[in-house]
Amino acid sequence: MLKEFKTLLPYFKKYSLSYLIGLFFLVLTDGGQLYIPQLIRRAIDMIASGSFLLSNVMILSAQMVGIAFIIAVSRFSWRYFIHGSSRRIEQQLREKLFVHLQSLSSTFYRKAKTGDLMARFTNDMRAIRMASAMALVAFIDGFFMTIAILVILFSQNPLLTLYSISPLPIITIGVIFFGRIIGERFRRIQEGFSNLSEMAQESISGIRVLKTFVREKAFVKRFARTNQDYTERNMALVRIWGLFFPLVAFLAGITTLIFLLLGGRAVMEGSLSPGEFTAFLSYLHMLIWPMMGAGFTINMIQRAGASLGRINKILNEVPDISSPPAAITHRIDGNINIRNLTFSYPESQEPVLSDISLDIPRGSILGILGKIASGKSSLVQLLPRILDPPDGTLFIDDRDIKSYELGTLRSAIGMVPQDGFLFSASIRENIAFGSKNGNGDLLKKVACISTIDRDFNTFPDGWDTIVGERGVTLSGGQKQRVAMSRALASDASIYIFDDSLSSVDTETEDFILRELFPFISGKTLILISHRISTLKAADHIIVLDKGRIIQQGRHDELITVRGFYADIYKLQQLEETIRRKK
Amino acid sequence: MTDTTGQEEVLKSYDSALMKRLLAYLKPYLAVFLLSIGALLLATAGELYIPILIQRSIDNHILPYHRAIRVDSAPGEILNKLDTVQTDFVIDGIYYFPTSRLSDLSVLEKNYLKDKGILSSENYIVVKDYNRKPRIKSILNRYPDFFKANQLNAVIEEKDLSSFDRESLRIIRGDHYRGLSFIGLQFLFILIGVLIFTFSQVYLLAYVGQMLMKDMRTHVFDHTLGLSLKFIDANPVGRLVTRITNDVETINELFTTVISSLLRDASLMVGVLAVLFILSPHLACITLLSLPPVIVLALIFRVKARDAFRRVRQAVSQINSFLSEHISGMRIVQLFAQEKQSREEFNKRNRRLLKANLGEMYVFASFRPFIDLLSSVSIAVIIYFGANFLVRDMISLGILIAFINLIRKFYEPVRDLSEKYNILQSAMAGAERVFELLDEKSIISQPSSPIFLDRTKGNIVFDNVSFQYKDGETVLKNLSFSVEPGETIAIVGYTGAGKTTIASLLTRMWDIQEGAILIDGINIRDIPTSSLRRKVQSVLQDVFLFSGSIESNIRLECSISPEEIERAIKLVKADTFINKLPQGLETELNERATNLSMGQRQLISFARVLAHNPDILILDEATGNIDTETEKLIQEALKNLLKARTSLVIAHRLSTIRNADRIIVLHRGELLESGSHEELIRKRGMYFNLYQMQFQDI
Repeated sequence: MLKEFKTLLPYFKKYSLSYLIGLFFLVLTDGGQLYIPQLIRRAIDMIASGSFLLSNVMILSAQMVGIAFIIAVSRFSWRYFIHGSSRRIEQQLREKLFVHLQSLSSTFYRKAKTGDLMARFTNDMRAIRMASAMALVAFIDGFFMTIAILVILFSQNPLLTLYSISPLPIITIGVIFFGRIIGERFRRIQEGFSNLSEMAQESISGIRVLKTFVREKAFVKRFARTNQDYTERNMALVRIWGLFFPLVAFLAGITTLIFLLLGGRAVMEGSLSPGEFTAFLSYLHMLIWPMMGAGFTINMIQRAGASLGRINKILNEVPDISSPPAAITHRIDGNINIRNLTFSYPESQEPVLSDISLDIPRGSILGILGKIASGKSSLVQLLPRILDPPDGTLFIDDRDIKSYELGTLRSAIGMVPQDGFLFSASIRENIAFGSKNGNGDLLKKVACISTIDRDFNTFPDGWDTIVGERGVTLSGGQKQRVAMSRALASDASIYIFDDSLSSVDTETEDFILRELFPFISGKTLILISHRISTLKAADHIIVLDKGRIIQQGRHDELITVRGFYADIYKLQQLEETIRRKK
Repeated sequence: MTDTTGQEEVLKSYDSALMKRLLAYLKPYLAVFLLSIGALLLATAGELYIPILIQRSIDNHILPYHRAIRVDSAPGEILNKLDTVQTDFVIDGIYYFPTSRLSDLSVLEKNYLKDKGILSSENYIVVKDYNRKPRIKSILNRYPDFFKANQLNAVIEEKDLSSFDRESLRIIRGDHYRGLSFIGLQFLFILIGVLIFTFSQVYLLAYVGQMLMKDMRTHVFDHTLGLSLKFIDANPVGRLVTRITNDVETINELFTTVISSLLRDASLMVGVLAVLFILSPHLACITLLSLPPVIVLALIFRVKARDAFRRVRQAVSQINSFLSEHISGMRIVQLFAQEKQSREEFNKRNRRLLKANLGEMYVFASFRPFIDLLSSVSIAVIIYFGANFLVRDMISLGILIAFINLIRKFYEPVRDLSEKYNILQSAMAGAERVFELLDEKSIISQPSSPIFLDRTKGNIVFDNVSFQYKDGETVLKNLSFSVEPGETIAIVGYTGAGKTTIASLLTRMWDIQEGAILIDGINIRDIPTSSLRRKVQSVLQDVFLFSGSIESNIRLECSISPEEIERAIKLVKADTFINKLPQGLETELNERATNLSMGQRQLISFARVLAHNPDILILDEATGNIDTETEKLIQEALKNLLKARTSLVIAHRLSTIRNADRIIVLHRGELLESGSHEELIRKRGMYFNLYQMQFQDI
């Protein structure tokens, strides 16, 4: 488990000075705390002697205030240095994790759940921060205080000390022992909690079934059972957790009791002064926290180790799509050649694309038609290497796309993905997302081409309207058109429209295409569509079925031969006539 | 993101309306709650008794000092203040009395007595009843110089005790040894009592908290299931689940941590002050002087902590929403090669979070040292004034030591005020979100004068129905058609023609904007949804199965006999594959039933609807790839399913369509054609084209 902490080593090194200063102040705080009972002892003994000058007590009191002041300052200081460092380490580790996540490909994201990854950033970071601050403090503090107090007490009265502190080790053992049971019961609670979440998740996801069969009430009862179970698991923890602190207090009380009996006699017999008696009482009181801290430290470090393990697992994930050494970074023109491309997802044997060969000359338009799951989207995702093609199958400007620097390659491609994912930022920010020098004119132009500018008067803040989480405030068509503007605003050589006009009506579509073609003239365009009206302007059209090209040619060629393309054409023509009739 | 900031603005540290709603949940457990408060008070009382015990053991047994006063020279009124003179303790005309009695005299009186030499400055120890204790008597006889004695009791000056060895001391002070042991016994009982009461308090309060959370969760869950699809579809499932689980959980903290420590702290602080006043009103008054700075500090801190806490929460929610969005949209970031920019965006938020965290750290890191400083200053002040009072014999050493111990106890609750405050804040925020969901009123309205469906004939009329999910996106436009009882109607059309919507409207998952839907001539708005949905049921295209056994998925917590379930699975031909499974009907399905093939899942959904036996069935045929063998089973199953009831089939299979009595062709939410298969083929319209394309969705 300790080897997981290696990830933190560079950070600890970086902040070693802060940590050292922090630890210095921590020890100073402890020293001050240890000194106060000594002052109290002298004051009490002075007072108990019966004959003393009040000014002497005044001096002691003043000293005590002085020491308390030093303690306050140094206590703030160690918190400042140690907590500050742990917060900074947390921040940097978070950044490291995020940057690493950016480098991972869709292979990773197909397996990973967003919720899990989020947990790495929240819960696990917290556990690590706790270990890099509190566990360290508890350890040093506990260690130093325990040793110091024991030395002071033993030097004063060994036998009395030995008897008095005898119950204390039970606290440490108790923390470790209870810690295990607590850990186990806590795990069971977590399990119950995830049962509960799953139950809720499932019921809400399946709400249509429940409403269809009017089973809402029955499922509330079912939920109530899981709920009851969860409550019981919680109570099982309370039974032991609730006993823990009272038990610690009890043991601490027993320590005081033993001391009161034995120390009291020692005072009677004159081997202990009243001041020493009071100081002893204070020191015993101060021992309890370190005794508990020792147990907690162990638990905290264990937890952080587990969290680091999970984070390391991500950090050790090697990005499988990355720029090659000596990558090409010069500008891409947009000549695409596909040679015998067969592709299957890493986790399956079944190829989604088989033996595709195709030339898409610079400045031409390729149309793709195909049923659901015919491999259209996979094909266009290979170009920007969101999916990684086999070597020697995909070429741009006569170079294998794998020889390009990844950023160069991707910047040269303006993609409008099928789902039109938008970020919860303003429309302007979303459209300017990929453009390095997105000046106002360009943005206006691309908003006009996609016709999203026509909708601006219905948005509360026009360009600055926030689109909400994943664009929920926009309709499907609006999302598609914003995504289209986003792609057009990027200075690309190749544009890919992955079924990006499906939610747009045909008149608008006509307009968009009319405006689009001159805008991108000289650049390569790949259009995936279900609509023949979109495809017919293409220089070349391929029809995909089960990952193979089953038909290809120009629109006027394809409509004359029997086949899928002609069928669809006829159906859509019919639709068109129906529409016109109305 | 912006709305969370808005929420934060609304959030108050203590919202009484919110508290009131929370307390409503407490009502059923009020008795247990009060019991736990009782236990808490007892435990606190016990805790406070311990410093008193220590004080007593010091003043009465360890250092039981007495003073000497000459009875004949002392003014009578002063003697009276010292209690009636007990002649047992008068030795040679000098009365020996416990030092603590002196606190009843004024300083003037004490000075007068001391100046006149009437009152001793020396301390004495009294040895009681020495005549009955032969071992003491023998010591007395051996050292007559040290002791003064009357018939009953003897005294010895405190400083002379050091001349004796330990053995003799034990004999001389036997009473004090026994007294100390007796206090030890009381001490032990109190410790055991505190242990029991504290545990009871923690347990009972946790019980109340848990029960309350349980009720609340069920309540929120119940409420959520009752909400309309319009609301549920507009909210990510994860968010709704968070309301039911995590947010309710934070409220639990309020009970187990905040309330219990608040009550404990308050009673402890009040208790400490009370004990201080009992022990020494003068010294207690001086202690009280340290209270105003504590209160001022706590008030300043409260504001600072709230602001810091709010900033942290804002920063956390900003970075979290950024993360969740950019993790799920990582593909877009990579596509546009915007890693650097999004990294900068992330860093901006990350730095903001660090700044907020550090800001919070400053507040918290300074509060605790301040409080400790105040605690130490209080003790220093008490020692100084205590010494003053002690010189004037106004307090005893035991009381001074008790003060030192009690002041420490007094400051303990204040120290972790910050943590409690934090918990209170997030609990309130959680409560607010939960209540916000509970206040959501988006439900399908129930008729004021409901008509319950009994046995329906199965006549369906869509009369000029228009519908849109979202403003401006019309799905159905002036749709009219009717279905005769017992008829099977196939609805066909292009993707997005509005076929699936018809199923949602007929079962009133959504309410239409225009027109009317009638069943047996009754507007479905006049039928309670539960009654309607018992008669009209649909098989959804996207089969949803719950985790649990196959049997429980068919039964859905209904009272359906095993025979009926057997019959249903036989009729839909699901028995062939179910019987092959090792556990048969009891086979557990995983989440989303991934251990079954799509076709098998579909057969189960058929069995489910058949077992529930609706009068009107809506079947949304699935389109996915199904192996030929299962496909055959499904075709046969469909025949049995559609038999003897009015059925609407949103059809994709040619065989299903051909078996229908009538076909309705939808296009963009409008009725385009209708008639029998042959009629429509002859018409050579849209249907004919769809037919040629085998009704495949593209």
